Amino acid sequence: MKRKLSFMVLILLVCSMSVTLFAGGAREEAPKVLNVWSFTDEVPNMLEKYKELNPDFDYEINTTIIATTEGAYQPALDQALAGRGSNAPDIFTAESAFVLKYTQGDAAHFAAPYKDLGIDVDRLLDEAEIAQYTVDIGTNDAGNLVGLGYQATGGAFIYRRSIAKDVWGTDDPAEVRDIVGPGWDKFFDAAEDLREQGYGIISGDGDIWHAIEGSSEKGWIVDGKLYIDPDREEFLDIAMLLKEEDYHNDTRDWTDAWFADMQDAGSKPVFGFFGPAWLINYVMAGNSGDTYGDWAVCEPPVGFFWGGTWVLANKNSPHLEVVGDIIEWITLDSSETGLQYHWANGTLWGPGGTKDTVASGAVMRKSDGTLDFLGGQDMFDVFVPAGAYATGRNKNQYDESINTYWRDQVREYTAGNKSRAQAIADFKQQVADNLDIPID
Amino acid sequence: MLARTRTISYAKYGYLFSIPFVLTFLIFHLYPMIYTVVIGFTDLRGIGRTEINFLENPFENFRLIFNNATFRRAMNNTFLIWIMNFIPQMLVALLLTAWFTNRNLTVRGQGMFKVLFYMPNIITAATIAILFQSLFGYPKGPINDVFLTFGWIESPLNFHLQHWTARGVVAFIQFWMWYGHTMIILIAGVLGINPTLFEAAEIDGATATQIFFRITLPRLKTIVLYTLVTSMIGGMQMFDIPRMFLWGGPDNATLTATLFIYNQAFSGSYLYNRAAAASILLFLIIAVLSSILFFVMRDRGAEKLKRKQRQLKRSEKAARKGVVL
Amino acid sequence: MKEQSMTVSRNITKTVIYVLCIFLAVLSIFPFWVMFMNATRGTFEIQQHSVGLLPSTHLIDNMRILMGKTFDPLIGFKNSMLVSTGATFGAVYFSSLTGYALVAYSWKLRQPFFTFIMAVLMIPAQISGIGFYQFMYQINWVNSLWPLILPAVATPAMVFFMRQYLIATLSLDIVDSARIDGAGEFYTFNRIILPIMKPAMATQAIFTFVFHWNNLFIPLILLTDRSKYTMPIMVSLLRGDIYRTEYGSVYLGLSLTVLPLFIVYFMLSKYIIAGVALGALKE
Repeated sequence: MKRKLSFMVLILLVCSMSVTLFAGGAREEAPKVLNVWSFTDEVPNMLEKYKELNPDFDYEINTTIIATTEGAYQPALDQALAGRGSNAPDIFTAESAFVLKYTQGDAAHFAAPYKDLGIDVDRLLDEAEIAQYTVDIGTNDAGNLVGLGYQATGGAFIYRRSIAKDVWGTDDPAEVRDIVGPGWDKFFDAAEDLREQGYGIISGDGDIWHAIEGSSEKGWIVDGKLYIDPDREEFLDIAMLLKEEDYHNDTRDWTDAWFADMQDAGSKPVFGFFGPAWLINYVMAGNSGDTYGDWAVCEPPVGFFWGGTWVLANKNSPHLEVVGDIIEWITLDSSETGLQYHWANGTLWGPGGTKDTVASGAVMRKSDGTLDFLGGQDMFDVFVPAGAYATGRNKNQYDESINTYWRDQVREYTAGNKSRAQAIADFKQQVADNLDIPID
Repeated sequence: MLARTRTISYAKYGYLFSIPFVLTFLIFHLYPMIYTVVIGFTDLRGIGRTEINFLENPFENFRLIFNNATFRRAMNNTFLIWIMNFIPQMLVALLLTAWFTNRNLTVRGQGMFKVLFYMPNIITAATIAILFQSLFGYPKGPINDVFLTFGWIESPLNFHLQHWTARGVVAFIQFWMWYGHTMIILIAGVLGINPTLFEAAEIDGATATQIFFRITLPRLKTIVLYTLVTSMIGGMQMFDIPRMFLWGGPDNATLTATLFIYNQAFSGSYLYNRAAAASILLFLIIAVLSSILFFVMRDRGAEKLKRKQRQLKRSEKAARKGVVL
Repeated sequence: MKEQSMTVSRNITKTVIYVLCIFLAVLSIFPFWVMFMNATRGTFEIQQHSVGLLPSTHLIDNMRILMGKTFDPLIGFKNSMLVSTGATFGAVYFSSLTGYALVAYSWKLRQPFFTFIMAVLMIPAQISGIGFYQFMYQINWVNSLWPLILPAVATPAMVFFMRQYLIATLSLDIVDSARIDGAGEFYTFNRIILPIMKPAMATQAIFTFVFHWNNLFIPLILLTDRSKYTMPIMVSLLRGDIYRTEYGSVYLGLSLTVLPLFIVYFMLSKYIIAGVALGALKE
């Protein structure tokens, strides 16, 4: 017994010693280094441009890019923010699926208000005409703006011109808009027309989900409890209808089969996809193969937004002023040397680059969104008004996980593996068990 | 008397040579373990938290995890998938061991086969998972292509949505990655058996089958127990393949215990305390299962074991004499 | 007559053995083959048919795409090598040393220590996982390769294996004659015992090297500095380009990750062929 006790004491001694020993190894902040954390290389590339535009900017930029796909970005970022060592991020980015955690949720205490970075927030917001939803999402509970996006991600319906001509005799966006919408009823009438001619209207139910998610009135959590918005619940029936009536190829987004449908390589040709401007430039253009140029965009049956990157500053950063300059240039500078002008016109690295819609209305007005991919159509004509539908009010920090659970259960239901009521019950169980969110 | 003092003088090297192991263990294994256990009794959740409080009811986290339907589901899956992979794995490994160590059947190309059978183990789990995902792709994928070409099915099957196919694929990948490993361990065990035993049996006219079941297998029992226990521990901790393959889906059919723990800690609510409690529960389950295995295996061969222990003592005595001489 | 039927049945058995062995061998080669072939195929081809058995012409394109990303195989290779060889060396050397301590010396705590190791063997890695991350962050040991190497020094399963091997093969006379020649205990271990243990060390080295080379999760959480990334992290990042997956280059990246393993594996494979004799376990 006595020996056991002394053994335990020895262990405890070693443990406490090891902590103090190694803790001494923590280094002090290295000067003139900015740590930038992101989940794509977009923001790091922007900083290269920033360096080029500001020759006297003498900070070394240390970028960390961790993809979101393995689910590793958030845990790593959280640990780095909490760790506060020399590796702590000065600037970090967050995607729409989890940005609320960093602006209003569990990790909101790390984000520095823009005004503390020396940014004249109110004047610039007005001047740049920033889309309201990006401001809503980026404002913390105390009413301070802590994050803004550079993109506007209002969505549209992106369709194949040749199929529209074949089925309805027209490929004019204004006419196609009135055929596929507004409202899901008209959309399914159009799906019926398409099916008769051997086409699918969309690739899989995931395409329609983003439209439903973005347009629903309320989010998954209301008053701290799980809430299933009627619009979102209806997704069960819509997905079932799509499958039963054979309106799609039953693919899953971001899988091989989904990409294949962008170039007519699926089991039947697919008419269109729902998405914002970035989907065209970053996903569809590269995957379109021979269908390049045979596409057009029109207003979707319901308005929605999907995706976007918000830029935040760590309030513990020793370089707040410099960070402020960079963030202002990315998110609020509406001049022709600001990031957003380059981003919209695809001129960040000379002409001919990828074009995208940006958050600043002022920039959008003086930009040109003509694309060869769309047969010369100016995509901004459709995407800029689409931004008005976007809202940040139906989001919460758990969206990424909850959406996954929900879509899994919908898939179970449409595959005929379980009943509608069982799918909903299992969904609730998942949320309660994994996230500890109360259900009714 | 003289011998005794000399033995003691060398004993200190026993301690000395174990120090690196013990120190590393204490710092990098035991300390984090104690840390985890302590977290299991606290309210630690969320990120960047600095103050931690012990719960009023210290077993609250354990109670919640125990009543968590998803956790029970995960335990079930883990067990099912392990059984589904271990039984064929052991059988195939034993069969190959029997063939490769059979002195009458000189299997040609043995070396090459051994090297190839172990090979699946060196490829990253992520690669295998991606590969199998595409193989069973829906609505287009090689397996569906083949089935359709032969007319076995009329429309493509969504393999990823069928619980048993998904579990079967995970179990198959596990089997395929580990049977070579198990085989190598078993062969090592056979090589350790005294060759005169085989020679004697052969002279007595025993057939290969008889030799395997009467001589090889009984002597392999402890090695089999070792593989059984290590495989069980590994199987209960299965993480990479189920995570990379379908993220525990479809409908949690391949959700394993460690995947559940990971989800508790990292999927959004940062329930570190519950993840810790689940880890401890998992450990307890593994400990109970291992003891059962040890008990079951020991009970049957108790007589033999005693005899063997006596033998061991004798040889140890001889060894000690060897030291002091 | 009897002899003839025995030959026939033996031939049948042999046929069954070869058929099964060849089948299993093909199964083993298949994924590697697909991976190498896909490394030469274009993204479009792979999307059409994800499993191709013939090489194509896109190897150079894939290489170009791979290099254009944050993928730097040299850095990844260097870090993975450091981690894997460091951990393998630590695990193999110190496990042998501990195993030797358990066999060659009789000390008071020997039996309790061995029981302790057997008990520790049963503890799942996950139980210390959460505590390990928190601990490493507390002492600010992120972006260092040490937390990936040092814990390997205590590998209970290998100690157990080494002990069994030594019991089966070590004759204490050797140790004794070394003593008579005046060799120190540590010298004896390094110069006399280690060479005897070579086959066991080689097999265990393969197991450990492969494990550390492929380890993804702990490095993913602990290493956030690009210059510290290991190969599997880089490959996982290739897949992580959310906008478009360049499958051809992903497979090329995976192939590059496997190649060094192949070299190490085939270098040490003669020990797998020869086999390691392990004394029947006595516990």
